[in-house]
Amino acid sequence: MSQPSVSAAPGETIAVNLQVNGTSHSLEVDPRRSLADVIREDVGLTGTHLGCEHGVCGACTVLADGEPSRACLMLAVQADGVEITTIEGLATDAGMHPVQQAMHDAMSFQCAFCSPGFLMSTVALLRDNPEPTEAEIREELSGNLCRCTGYQSIVDGVETAVQLMGGKSS
Amino acid sequence: MSSATTDRQSSGLGFVGQRVKRVEDERFLVGEGKFIADLNHEGMLHAAFARSPFAHAKINSIDVAAASRLPGVVKVFTGAELNAVTNPFIPFFTVGGLYTPLYSCMSDDRVRHIGDPVALVVAESRYIAEDALELIEVDYEDLEAIGSIDAALKPGRTQLWEKADGNVLGEFTDTFGDVDEAFNQADRVITKTFDCPRQSNQPMETRGIAVVVDPTTGHLDIHSTSQAPHFKKWAIAAMLVKDSTAASLAKFARNSERRSAFLAAAKDFVAANKEKMAQQDNSGMVSQLKKDPSTMLHQLRMGAGLLAADDYPTVMAADIGGAFGSKGPVAREDVAVAAAASELGRSVQWIEDRVENLLDGGQAREERFTMSVAVDNDGMLKGLRVDAVLDQGAYTGFPVAPALIALLWKVYFPGPYNLDAFEITSKIVTTNKGRVVPYRGPWANETWARERMLDLVAAELGLTPVEIRSRNVMREGVSMPDAFITGPTIDETMSVAKTFDRALEMIDFDQLKRDKADAEGRGHRLGLGIASYHEAAPGPPNFFSSVQPGTDLFVYEDGRAEIGTDGTIRMFTSQSPHGQSHQTTYKQVAADEFGVKMEDVEIVWGDTDRTQFSFLGTGGSRGGPMGGGVMRMTARELRQQVEKVAADMLEASVDDIDIIDGNIHVAGVPSRGISYADVAGKVAADRNITDEPAFMEAMKYEGVGNGGWSVATHVAWVDIDLETGEVEIPRYLVVEDCGPIINPGVVDGQVRGGVAQGIGAVFYERTHYDDNANLMSTTYMDYLVPTAMEIPNIEIEHMETLTEGENDARGTGEGGMIGAPAALTNAVSDALGVQVTEQYLPPYRLLELAGVIEPEK
Ligand code: FES
Ligand code: FES
Repeated sequence: MSQPSVSAAPGETIAVNLQVNGTSHSLEVDPRRSLADVIREDVGLTGTHLGCEHGVCGACTVLADGEPSRACLMLAVQADGVEITTIEGLATDAGMHPVQQAMHDAMSFQCAFCSPGFLMSTVALLRDNPEPTEAEIREELSGNLCRCTGYQSIVDGVETAVQLMGGKSS
Repeated sequence: MSSATTDRQSSGLGFVGQRVKRVEDERFLVGEGKFIADLNHEGMLHAAFARSPFAHAKINSIDVAAASRLPGVVKVFTGAELNAVTNPFIPFFTVGGLYTPLYSCMSDDRVRHIGDPVALVVAESRYIAEDALELIEVDYEDLEAIGSIDAALKPGRTQLWEKADGNVLGEFTDTFGDVDEAFNQADRVITKTFDCPRQSNQPMETRGIAVVVDPTTGHLDIHSTSQAPHFKKWAIAAMLVKDSTAASLAKFARNSERRSAFLAAAKDFVAANKEKMAQQDNSGMVSQLKKDPSTMLHQLRMGAGLLAADDYPTVMAADIGGAFGSKGPVAREDVAVAAAASELGRSVQWIEDRVENLLDGGQAREERFTMSVAVDNDGMLKGLRVDAVLDQGAYTGFPVAPALIALLWKVYFPGPYNLDAFEITSKIVTTNKGRVVPYRGPWANETWARERMLDLVAAELGLTPVEIRSRNVMREGVSMPDAFITGPTIDETMSVAKTFDRALEMIDFDQLKRDKADAEGRGHRLGLGIASYHEAAPGPPNFFSSVQPGTDLFVYEDGRAEIGTDGTIRMFTSQSPHGQSHQTTYKQVAADEFGVKMEDVEIVWGDTDRTQFSFLGTGGSRGGPMGGGVMRMTARELRQQVEKVAADMLEASVDDIDIIDGNIHVAGVPSRGISYADVAGKVAADRNITDEPAFMEAMKYEGVGNGGWSVATHVAWVDIDLETGEVEIPRYLVVEDCGPIINPGVVDGQVRGGVAQGIGAVFYERTHYDDNANLMSTTYMDYLVPTAMEIPNIEIEHMETLTEGENDARGTGEGGMIGAPAALTNAVSDALGVQVTEQYLPPYRLLELAGVIEPEK
């Protein structure tokens, strides 16, 4: 028996304009390339990580027009004209974003490979729900896998962020 | 909450013991970590492996012509091509009675598991490389596959390895005390079999390797997700040796400088290690050579090649996204990619994808234990017999698993309980599955089986789990021997009883009764499970010689401290951090020793050209006790040297020198202090040096004292919904003693992460092969890593027993995972009123055990 053979796709490219962290990038991309790959390789921002490339681990989460989205499942061409925010877009000259600061204070991460996804999901979560309960935090973050921490320190980090951002402490 | 976390800036009060925030975060939290896939080397080519879709098959032919023609493809290597330029994996660590089949970096005539690599595409991009995979035609001829321990044990089935006896690679027995006597004398003998299915480490970052070839010299810079870069360096160097033994030896003989340096080093080594070398157990090599004499020829060729080589690869590990043991071994892909790059003379990288990681990135713990316990009616344990079987998969992990796992069972199985006699027979079997690697507490199933068995014995005798443990646990001053029956010596750090007693104080048994009744009222069942264990972290001096005589040769820890001519303090560790916060904790330790701020200390790791050799790298929960120990000792030594020079400069006595925040001064007159830069500058000027350190101290650290035990008692409460089989863990308590804590935030994180993996193992995760060794769990849709919804808050109580000696911190990386499966399955047994004998308990299985649904046959 032998394996089936498939012929390769022709190598045409499409022009896209990606808005990443407020900077516009005009790129020619192979239409099948994922948004994650283009952000990492063409835009050169490697803070967005790939843990599974099949939409489960959440490490690749970016904000696309404000919504947490899996950059491994999106094609770069789908993001034409979309405002993308990655982990590199959170801190400002004034310092870390409160969510970053809070995760630092709470010692949330270990290897931190998962951290870009958790940070982006948390930013979106606290924008939509500034004072989540612990159960809400856990539910909202259940689309992000972390293998190191057992999550408690990450949940602490979100709660710390609530405080830093002026919500009530939980 | 994290309010106790500190930004402490001054060295005056000490950093060790404080919940100091992580310095690693400064790069990670802003997306500036440098993981293997982030390195972005100039001109790097990308590799992808063609892998077998069959569990067991002959390869009749392979055709890579079409793939090679695809634009952008640089080269397609067949398995045979890469095997022709590499040496095979030969057993590095073995045991009498075991045969380890040799294997090459690729498969060329036969595949032995789903995902077995048969060809390697090197192309300009990963997309193109993966396109080319589709064009490779392989003609496979299906063979019967061995998909389970039962099938492997059955005689007459298709063999994976011709030279083996069936599919059993070895069997070995160890006996301690008079086992027959113990079994004859005891009131009764209780026997039960326990099964643990396959699991996987599953770090969030997969494996990867980027081999950068220097176009002029051919030198290889190998960037790797490696827990043990030094071992990987030498293993790859050896496997890439091409010259014959004779040619290498002739070359070595001609190089008189190299020859005399080697002979001098060898003489020193032998002189320093004579005793240990004399103890070395060579019976494993004897049984290996009986089965496969070619092992010796390969060994000689690689050894001679290493002697003759003019250059060795450099291995570098930057940031690593978790490993849990899986990135310790040297894998076939490492050798294949290094060989491909070296053959092409071009840089090549391979980043494993998640599916590959689930196929062969590291699997663990598929083991079976039949335990017989000889016990008196009052619950006093007398003897233990264990028949253990470990399913190693097709290719033996390199360098240590699985033989080491079996040897660790031998040492650990009786646990912290007194016994008169113990015997264990371990079998290692081979099946058509992925590679077994060490997984966080690789031996941990001894704790699971033992603690489960204790509950079972208690039930049979009409005792409670608490009673049987109380009667048998080793107690300091009462029933604590000087050594375990299996060899390792004990001191006060083996404080399991303390953790057990403390745990009992923290359980409200009356409340438990009420909670159980309440759960029943809701159609649920609630139960409580207890489990205790001890762990050599790093263990007493005779620990490794108890595992296998002579192996303690490899377990010291090297480290180095330097002060540059500008006063910069650099600490060089041979550890390879991948989440354990080494940078933070070593800065804490060194800053305290030097009397400087943490930011004044630089930690250097992961580069084999800059750090000293370490066989293990990061593993075995050694980062705190051994890695931290050598940081402390070298720093202390250098500080003394600095104080001497400073005392001269300040015209004072050394005893009066004080250092706070880097201000070196006579005690009481900080205003007239000098800096490390001043002292280093003086030394540099006096000795007229510019590009070497002003101060340098390297050490080999062997740990301290007789103890070095980390111990814990875990208590789990589980609540099972009898309608859905869903589990909740309303409370999980760890009472642990890893000695004085360097950074509580880090230690707590390690404990919780380990427990989380234990929860995953019991309720969610399974590397599921069917009877024909087809892998059913090839994505995260099937291999269920638990989320924030499944892992509860974990309560941790620290005991911090001190012992004699410096740097008494003990290891904490593995313990969480060692205790959790036992505590959880004990809790399930208590909840359902059945004695569970398997480790994997997904909802359907819980409902079967509860009698709610009919078991599948
Ligand atoms: S990499 Fe996108 S979800 Fe895992
Ligand atoms: S910190 Fe390692 S995966 Fe989350």
